[in-house]
Amino acid sequence: MSKALPNRPLNPRRIGVLAFNTFTQLVRMKVFYFLAIFAVIVIGSNSLNLPTNSAPENAGIQVLFAIKNTSIGCMGLFSLVLAVVATGLLLPKDVEDRTLYTILAKPVPRLDYLIGKLVGVTSLIFISLLAMDLLMVGVLQMRTNEVVEMRSQFADGAGYPPEMKARYINETLALGPTWNLQGGVLVVFFRAVVMASVALLLSTFSTSTLFTAVVGFMVLFVGFFQADARDFYFSGTGALGRIGSGAMTVVLPDLQLFNVVDSIIEGKVLEAASLLKIAGVTLFYCVIYTFTSWIIFARKEF
Amino acid sequence: MNPSFRRLTAAATVLVVAGIVRMPAEQALTEDLRKQGILSRPLDIETQKKVGQGFWAVSLGGLRTLVATVLNLRAFSFFENQRWTQLADTYDTIVQLAPDTDYYWDTASWHMAYNAAAYYQTSSDLPELRRRAEWRQWVERGTAFLEEGTRQNPDSWYLWSRLGWIYSDPNKLIDYEKSAAAYQKAIETGNALPYIRNGAAYALARVPGKETEALELVRKLHQDRRGQVPTMKCLLLSLECTADPCVDSYQLALDIFAGDKEAYHMLSGYYLDFRKNFPTAGVAIALKKLELRLGVPADRSIFKQRNELEETPINPWQQR
Repeated sequence: MSKALPNRPLNPRRIGVLAFNTFTQLVRMKVFYFLAIFAVIVIGSNSLNLPTNSAPENAGIQVLFAIKNTSIGCMGLFSLVLAVVATGLLLPKDVEDRTLYTILAKPVPRLDYLIGKLVGVTSLIFISLLAMDLLMVGVLQMRTNEVVEMRSQFADGAGYPPEMKARYINETLALGPTWNLQGGVLVVFFRAVVMASVALLLSTFSTSTLFTAVVGFMVLFVGFFQADARDFYFSGTGALGRIGSGAMTVVLPDLQLFNVVDSIIEGKVLEAASLLKIAGVTLFYCVIYTFTSWIIFARKEF
Repeated sequence: MNPSFRRLTAAATVLVVAGIVRMPAEQALTEDLRKQGILSRPLDIETQKKVGQGFWAVSLGGLRTLVATVLNLRAFSFFENQRWTQLADTYDTIVQLAPDTDYYWDTASWHMAYNAAAYYQTSSDLPELRRRAEWRQWVERGTAFLEEGTRQNPDSWYLWSRLGWIYSDPNKLIDYEKSAAAYQKAIETGNALPYIRNGAAYALARVPGKETEALELVRKLHQDRRGQVPTMKCLLLSLECTADPCVDSYQLALDIFAGDKEAYHMLSGYYLDFRKNFPTAGVAIALKKLELRLGVPADRSIFKQRNELEETPINPWQQR
């Protein structure tokens, strides 16, 4: 007689099934409609070519900035809203639809359930960002090609030697769709993952979607000032102020760290080591918040 | 103890312990990213006030540059409506949000030193004294904006070159020494386009006492194909004559230019463009001899044209 295998948590297949179901559930809510709005915004930003005094050698550069600024800004907004609202919505909706009872009545470890939900939401965010990124890259590439063509003609007309022309063209290409910019999009995704983890934690003890969304946005908002509080903790004076800032720092995520995306848009290079460190911080947040969610959710009665 | 309270306490403990563990690491990473210049410091109070309600949006990462783009559109509408003070204030905010984008520094400076200044210069409904004061104020403001832009972006050859340009613009507040220094900084970045070297030579040639230094640079540039432009050739002749007043400028002109006709044509333009303050040592003598050789009639003489131009009043506003 065969002995039943222990029902261990962290089963990838089980998590995959839960994640896929979550993903499908969110897709049915028509979140991808946002992409149409995004497309209009990106194409619109392509026409933000204001008159300037820019000499011929600098013509067209500002539009490249406009495309990147608007696209990445919209990606950031969309991913954060989706991370907070969609994640906050999942548990209450499962309770409301009675799906949760069906799932938990089976030998599904609650940790797997939570991870499955989180992976489902983050997959949706990832695919949305990927679609938006492809659109941005397409528009940016077309515009960059135009600017490169203009610059190339200018360089030929001015009789630049080949090495000078190459450097001049490379300057333009660096403002187009680069791997560095892709690093920026990845940072936008990391930030959304952290917020999805926070929303998951909130939804394990909240009583409504509205509560999760409101508190989630508050955490998001305060998270952008968390680094300031930490600065104050390390360098400020006054015991009470330091205790307050310390408490805020240890509990809330530091979202200011992900603001590197602003500099990336402006053309600064994010080193691979720094990107890895940010990925590490994201993973740390993800693990801690999911683990904390499990502590609360593990024996919760419905 | 209530089980649910116990679970909440355990969860809070995990969060706090994890927070204590990550705090120093995050602080170090933040400092590192700030040192690399990839993570901006928080906005100062003054900028927070100027951004107003938008500050809350700006605080959310990734939106600083987006808000800068939107404000740039707003600034353009201020430009269209000639609301110069609001335009300047808007650009003050924009460059706080996106300090590394040289386009904003350059455009702001152009709006102030050129558009706003020209607006007041041509505002016939204002008293002369007011027009002059406003013109001066806006030129200075635009120049100061570029100065600040170069301070914050010392590696931007473009901003340095714009600063060099504005300081040697005959319609602005001329300072050739600062212009030459700015062009030199642009060259030192190692990324400047070739024509910037010409700008540096033109500015240096107009700094009193720097003629020898300028001559060396002009000689060097003249050997290059891109230095074979009319102004550079005329400048070479004049600086050579300054360095050695005994040199035969007519013969030198024939050596530098491709024939007497080209020499006369180029030097005439240079001689008539006297408001650019280029050195003119030896130019008049060379032109006199060239007119004799080419048989230019007295009524078409370049000296007659120059006298007529000199009688036209110049804009006295640009005196520093």
